[in-house]
Amino acid sequence: MRFRAKIVDGACLNHFTRISNMIAKLAKTCTLRISPDKLNFILCDKLANGGVSMWCELEQENFFNEFQMEGVSAENNEIYLELTSENLSRALKTAQNARALKIKLTNKHFPCLTVSVELLSMSSSSRIVTHDIPIKVIPRKLWKDLQEPVVPDPDVSIYLPVLKTMKSVVEKMKNISNHLVIEANLDGELNLKIETELVCVTTHFKDLGNPPLASESTHQDRNMEHMAEVHIDIRKLLQFLAGQQVNPTKALCMHRICRSGKKTLLFRVETNETSKVSSVLGDETIFL
Amino acid sequence: VAAMLKCVMSGSQVKVFGKAVQALSRISDELWLDPSKKGLALRCVNSSRSAYGCVLFSPVFFQHYQWSALVKMSENELDTTLNLKCKLGMKIKRTHNICFQESQPLQVIFDKNVCTNTLMIQPRLLADAIVLFTSSQEEVTLAVTPLNFCLKSSNEESMDLSNAVYSEMFVGSDEFDFFQIGMDTEITFCFKELKGILTFSEATHAPISIYFDFPGKPLALSIDDMLVEANFILATLADESSRASSPQSLCLSQKRKRSDLIKKKAGKNITGQALECISRKAAPRRLYPKETLTNISAVENCGSPAMKRANGDISEVSENSVSNTEEVPGSLCLRKFSCMFFGAVSSDQQEHFNHPFDSLARASDSEEDMNNVCRKEFNGSDAKYFCII
Repeated sequence: MRFRAKIVDGACLNHFTRISNMIAKLAKTCTLRISPDKLNFILCDKLANGGVSMWCELEQENFFNEFQMEGVSAENNEIYLELTSENLSRALKTAQNARALKIKLTNKHFPCLTVSVELLSMSSSSRIVTHDIPIKVIPRKLWKDLQEPVVPDPDVSIYLPVLKTMKSVVEKMKNISNHLVIEANLDGELNLKIETELVCVTTHFKDLGNPPLASESTHQDRNMEHMAEVHIDIRKLLQFLAGQQVNPTKALCMHRICRSGKKTLLFRVETNETSKVSSVLGDETIFL
Repeated sequence: VAAMLKCVMSGSQVKVFGKAVQALSRISDELWLDPSKKGLALRCVNSSRSAYGCVLFSPVFFQHYQWSALVKMSENELDTTLNLKCKLGMKIKRTHNICFQESQPLQVIFDKNVCTNTLMIQPRLLADAIVLFTSSQEEVTLAVTPLNFCLKSSNEESMDLSNAVYSEMFVGSDEFDFFQIGMDTEITFCFKELKGILTFSEATHAPISIYFDFPGKPLALSIDDMLVEANFILATLADESSRASSPQSLCLSQKRKRSDLIKKKAGKNITGQALECISRKAAPRRLYPKETLTNISAVENCGSPAMKRANGDISEVSENSVSNTEEVPGSLCLRKFSCMFFGAVSSDQQEHFNHPFDSLARASDSEEDMNNVCRKEFNGSDAKYFCII
């Protein structure tokens, strides 16, 4: 297994650092998946859903001007690593004003992801900062649990309102209840609802637009105004929204009810087609 | 007979003074206040005696500095309070009464001018280096060659904890105001104190000078901006290989004979005792005069007559020891930090030990409206305070 990559562009480094900061805020440990075209940060929420709770995908060529990798084997040309999220974000923090940032897989006393930064300094010589971040290689048999979450044939899929607005609404709602109901339909309407014994608050968003759906046939008989709803933990939604530091070009939400009755909600945020973050939240209806 | 101290500081002077106290507080909870005609010195040493700080504020640093020894006062006027008065804004006046106790003066022997390696850096560089490490980082290693400088996580730590990030920063010699390296060196010392020293240096805007030699010999960080002179001395980890050949601890009483005698004593017990008082990992203890005596006596129990002799003539020894530091034989530390022995300089040692709280004068009267007043009354007696640095 080998991996070497280099970033020289300041904006790319900035974007990469912000994504790393977002990951560090969401979970202590994360998985880094390295493949020939992409770099993924994967978070698992074993307690709640048993699956991937957040999936972040970066198109490698939009960030790195050098990128070489050799996976576990020829048929499985990928590398899955586990590391402490904060270690990476802290290492990247020291890379502001860097001339170049190099990341590579090394094995010093134990496997590490080595982040090496060449910093601009006042004098003619550069400063070189190196961080060796300990990592664990994830064996192939566990890879199946770390795949991209998809919502095949969603019932409803809708573009989200401006995330900042949505975040401030949800933040205020958090003070009243831990439980949020998200309703959306194919007519560009999204509602955020909280209910307690004393009060019920709903925020309505209209004219949001719906992304084109994959299969046309299923929707001929569908009532466009029919609201699909999912109950979720408000704090989990907030975590996802808080992590969105970058202004996305596209943010959408997909909802699906499978035959078993299990509801899944997927939020996806894309930025300039360079990075994509998907967050999965499951239904958490409380039966009273 | 009493001595009297009265200082007045403006707001910006208090800031610097405060940062000095803060930096020293990272070393120890206890602070020595030592006024003289040279100015007011603040000193402290940590419980394991592996870190020492001294900040000397010259009289011209203060708006007003008044110090006098030997002022006659009546017997029944005793007070042990130090009054700190602050005037905030125009109408608010705040008074802090802080208790102090008479204690043995603190002295360390370290001649930075004989150090092989000397660096001078801007505080900015130290600040950039410090952000590399987390607050949980205990020790850092400084490695130098005649061409460059590297600060890195201490090897020992990163090998123990498989989750710890190892970080290092290489800086070219042209980033230094002064860069003189006599020999390639790697020294390891405690990271915690560095941050306090940095905040203080940023308050003074003066560059930081670093003096050091080989592993085991303490490292000195100095800041001197004409009004304030600060010296922080940190013990460094003794290298196993260099242990035998080089002098390591800053022992106050140092005679070649004494160490030879200790070495000759068979068995680990005696050396264990000696190690007790110089081990860095010793449990924290409050520093009372008695403690100092205990430490010295622990070594005394090793049975060296030379040691006993040295105790009585400390002032003589200390004058000579500057030149003798090079010849002092190796300490018995095994991968432990060397420490600096501290002891009283007073020839009236006995008196102090018997009546530690004896001679404390009362607070003087009348509080004038001063901006900031720092006042301390105490009996200096015959104690001599000096610091050979």
